[in-house]
Amino acid sequence: MNNPIDPPHANGSEQRDHDIVPPARPTATAPYYEAQGREVEIFEAAYRKRLPVMLKGPTGCGKTRFLEHMAWHLNRPLVTVSCHEDLTSSDLVGRFLLEGNETVWQDGPLTRAVKAGAICYLDEIVEARTDSTVIIHPLTDHRRRLPLEKTGREVTAHEDFLLVISYNPGYQTVLKDLKPSTKQRFIGLNFDFPAEETERRILVNEVPGLDADSAARLVSIARKARSLKDHGLDEVTSTRALVYAANMISAGLPAVEACQVAIINPVTDDIELAAALLEIVRAHFE
Amino acid sequence: MSEALEPKDGASTDIDPDAAGELAAALEALARDSFVAHHAAQIALPPVLVYGDAVALEWLAACRRLFEFDRDAGRAFARATPDVAAVAKSVLPWTRQALRFLDYPGSWKAIDGFMGNLVNAYTTLGPVGEMRWADIGFAWCGRHTDSGNAYFNTPVHDLAGRLGVPGIEQLSAPAEALFTTRRLALGTFLPGALRVRALLGHGAIAPWARRGIDVLTADRFRGEAYFRLESDESLRLLLDDLPGFRAQQNERFLKMLLTAWYGEACDIQDSGWSPDKGRAFVETDGRAVLAPVTLPDREHAVLGVLHVAGHLQFGTYAVAPLKVLFAQLGLDAEITDARAISWEPLIAQFGDDTGRFKLLFDLCEDLRVDHAIAMIAPTHLRRLARLAALLPMPDGVARDYYRLASASLQFALGGAHSLSQEVATGFARLLEPDATVVDAFRVARSLLPGLDLPKPQTPEDVQNAYLPGRSPNLGRDVKAAQGPGSQSERSEQKESQSGEAEGEQDEDSETVEQETGPQDAEADDSGGAAAHAQSAANRKGTGQTRTGERPAQPQTKTGGPDRWLPYPEWDYRENRYKIDWAWVAEKVLAESNPQEAQRLADRHAGTLKRLKKAIQSQKPTRPAPLTRQMDGDDLDLEATVRYVTERIAGRSPEARVYKRRAIRNRDVAVTLLADLSTSIMQTVADGNGRLVDTVRAGVLLFAESMEEVGDPYSIAGFCSKYRDNVNYYRIKDFDQPFDDRVRATVGGLSGRLATRMGAAIRHAVHRFEGVSTPRRLLLLLSDGRPEDYDDGGDRRYLHEDTRMAVKEAVNAGVHPFCITVDTLANQYLPQIFGRGHYLVLDQIGSLPAKLPEIYLRLRR
Repeated sequence: MNNPIDPPHANGSEQRDHDIVPPARPTATAPYYEAQGREVEIFEAAYRKRLPVMLKGPTGCGKTRFLEHMAWHLNRPLVTVSCHEDLTSSDLVGRFLLEGNETVWQDGPLTRAVKAGAICYLDEIVEARTDSTVIIHPLTDHRRRLPLEKTGREVTAHEDFLLVISYNPGYQTVLKDLKPSTKQRFIGLNFDFPAEETERRILVNEVPGLDADSAARLVSIARKARSLKDHGLDEVTSTRALVYAANMISAGLPAVEACQVAIINPVTDDIELAAALLEIVRAHFE
Repeated sequence: MSEALEPKDGASTDIDPDAAGELAAALEALARDSFVAHHAAQIALPPVLVYGDAVALEWLAACRRLFEFDRDAGRAFARATPDVAAVAKSVLPWTRQALRFLDYPGSWKAIDGFMGNLVNAYTTLGPVGEMRWADIGFAWCGRHTDSGNAYFNTPVHDLAGRLGVPGIEQLSAPAEALFTTRRLALGTFLPGALRVRALLGHGAIAPWARRGIDVLTADRFRGEAYFRLESDESLRLLLDDLPGFRAQQNERFLKMLLTAWYGEACDIQDSGWSPDKGRAFVETDGRAVLAPVTLPDREHAVLGVLHVAGHLQFGTYAVAPLKVLFAQLGLDAEITDARAISWEPLIAQFGDDTGRFKLLFDLCEDLRVDHAIAMIAPTHLRRLARLAALLPMPDGVARDYYRLASASLQFALGGAHSLSQEVATGFARLLEPDATVVDAFRVARSLLPGLDLPKPQTPEDVQNAYLPGRSPNLGRDVKAAQGPGSQSERSEQKESQSGEAEGEQDEDSETVEQETGPQDAEADDSGGAAAHAQSAANRKGTGQTRTGERPAQPQTKTGGPDRWLPYPEWDYRENRYKIDWAWVAEKVLAESNPQEAQRLADRHAGTLKRLKKAIQSQKPTRPAPLTRQMDGDDLDLEATVRYVTERIAGRSPEARVYKRRAIRNRDVAVTLLADLSTSIMQTVADGNGRLVDTVRAGVLLFAESMEEVGDPYSIAGFCSKYRDNVNYYRIKDFDQPFDDRVRATVGGLSGRLATRMGAAIRHAVHRFEGVSTPRRLLLLLSDGRPEDYDDGGDRRYLHEDTRMAVKEAVNAGVHPFCITVDTLANQYLPQIFGRGHYLVLDQIGSLPAKLPEIYLRLRR
């Protein structure tokens, strides 16, 4: 039995603080990933040809984990940039900083990744401002170059460099969407929530100590909850949320409560929707 | 004469010859007055004589006076005498009471009622209570003859409502207040009040009456209809007061559940139930789930809706299995999805046992369906069982059925059960995945003879036999559904048939409802189980009313098929919302006046020019870079130089050396909502004509300025008459160009009716839907306080409602701001809109120039 306040992975194998470009294979074993289809093979093929990849799919269905898994297998460092609406091209490419009495150029994470031959993952790229999405264009075609306008220079990508973006089609796409000219530069991989069987395996694997029965119930809850997508639920119950719920159960919380805090409360403030979700939970656990 | 007295003489102990003479004389006098009177008195006299001659004499004298007063009164008095005397064990007290009616001309009907009620009054209230009952009635006779009639003609049982004299006083007190303040006759008040008390207890009478007074003040006719419970609003309000879980208000929640479990949600409609109809059930008409206004609690509702939708889902009313069922019994019944299913041929074979069979059939079918539901919602059976265990076991006949149903649940759950081998085998068949309603029928038929179940005698027996969440499956007219016969067939059938089936249903549905209603009720009666039939018939009639529907509508001059939207209204006296209380219709203003618009434009041309210039100078022509930022796209050279200099000078400046090209986001959308009530037609004090001219000019200049500013804006006006007639005039929508037509409409603005501001604000907020600007402003242009015809003179009522509407608007991301020309507005606007959210213009003439200015200041 673990000490209740121990963190889940207390082995100390991971670096707590590292450079923006981390070492390749930061962990001893490959991050756990359960393939949904042929995505592993497709990604490998794309990487062999150094074609940029777009991961499409709802939040929490395993896009990031997939990439971590692939980066480990391909033995490349993974640089992740979470995009947000204030993300400017400077945040990606780099900027001048003042040091002492002079200005110093500092590479942004994208530039660092380009130079180091890492896999650069721009997570939720639609969130970024359009001007920052355009700068990736020359990187994504045969040129594989990144212009640094402010310094008047251009960086040619390391031969191992690969650009990956993620893109959540259901998420605020009315107002924000990638330009078609951006989209067509990528190999598109569609992700969805894993099949029931797979999702159960994921839960059992991710959360040691979770019994198969609870896993099955959690997965069944998620199926039902996902059917409420068009009823005010912007983000449906994700595999990640299920893993959280499973973790809370394995930490000793009653199942209904665990689901409430991990599955219901985070995704909605809508009282009726929350009540409906709770009913679904209660129909499985009591 | 004397012969007539003889047998009675024998009954009394001693005879005083003098008294006998007096009696004879009195009777003779009566005979001279009227033959009828004499005859009636003679018949009634014997039981009175028991109390002695003096009593009899006084009684005879009273009888004579009453006959003199009114023939019918006298007759009623004499006729009731024997019974009353027997129960009251006295004569004089009530005889003297009867004489008091002589003080009230025209009260013969009251005497009739009084005499008729006396027996009950003595038995239920006792002599003391009877006195009080009569005294209250006499007070009413004194107030108003017809009210006195109504009082004495209302059965004492009803008046007292099992509470004795206090029950009567409870009713009389508010009635008295209503009569003295509003001249509301007791006859109008009483029937409704009695029903209110029967439904909701006496505590509900006062609020119900209070609201009624509001309506009555506004409109006598509507008010009286309200008290007679003839108006929809009155009935709805009552049902609103019922405790429990309200299905209609939780419709979205329940539908989401259905979507989650069954992949699709059917409609959830009101079943038209009211508490005097017995137990509340969730039912279905084969298409929608019909839920009562209120259910005991949430668990009942969730399980009930799930269960009934389960019947639809798992084919209880599906065409295919029903055809099989009828065919197997050799019955040639036409089952289509357009007609209500007639179960009569199926159950006719059971004769006297129909009542038992129906309950057992339901029990079996419910078990099958609930088990199928549990395949999707695993804890369903357990929850049903738990809820059933929580409730008290019903008494009498229902108990055996209830117990069997509970046992069947335990059996399905795999727990210990007390079922016989035969029953267990039957039930086991129903739990198989391919079981259908046909199996339920067969199992019920085969088990019926072996089970010692009692016959249901009353509707209550039937109603109480069901576990919570379940309901009579055959109780209502149900239309068969194309589609699921059994789970396995479902997917194929759905694809091939759903499209055509839907089209057909709609066409026929209405006529079918009318046709099948009465016919089915008759068939039910002949079926033998009168109790069951009665309960079915009871409920049948109510299925037509839908409480969600709008009340009858006084037509307004604009006419046309308006779409009415209901909004809640806040009642501070009850501290809660009245659901769907204020009804708003969007309308188009018919009047327009292009000449007036032109005149106003010319007159205010100077002001407008000035405004436009001011706007232009404020308008950002291109994205202004934000300088001196902590972070940004480029270095702000100026700031950098300053930073470096300061550093060199030995200070430690903040490193605000970046600039950013982002525009500060100040997208604003605004709605100008003008109060178009009658009061704007008044002439203003400062000699500038009528207020409406200023309003027109203000709206016009506002629109012209907005065109210059470029922010999305809309213009609307509102007025109201009663809570169910709030008009919202769309003058210009957000996406509509400001053209001459709109100008002309503004030029033709005029005032009418009253100011139900809260409803208008709620609708204006609703109209903001689809406007994506981050800031949304609602500019309210008003000239007075919120008021309407039906607020009963209680100003605070609409004030409080408007305050709540403002609060709701803010929560919805719309910021209301009120501009008023009412110089007294300082008395109420701070409470409604809050400090700083309103402006009082003391110079009305300044409105046209001020309105755009205020907006520009607000949007900054």
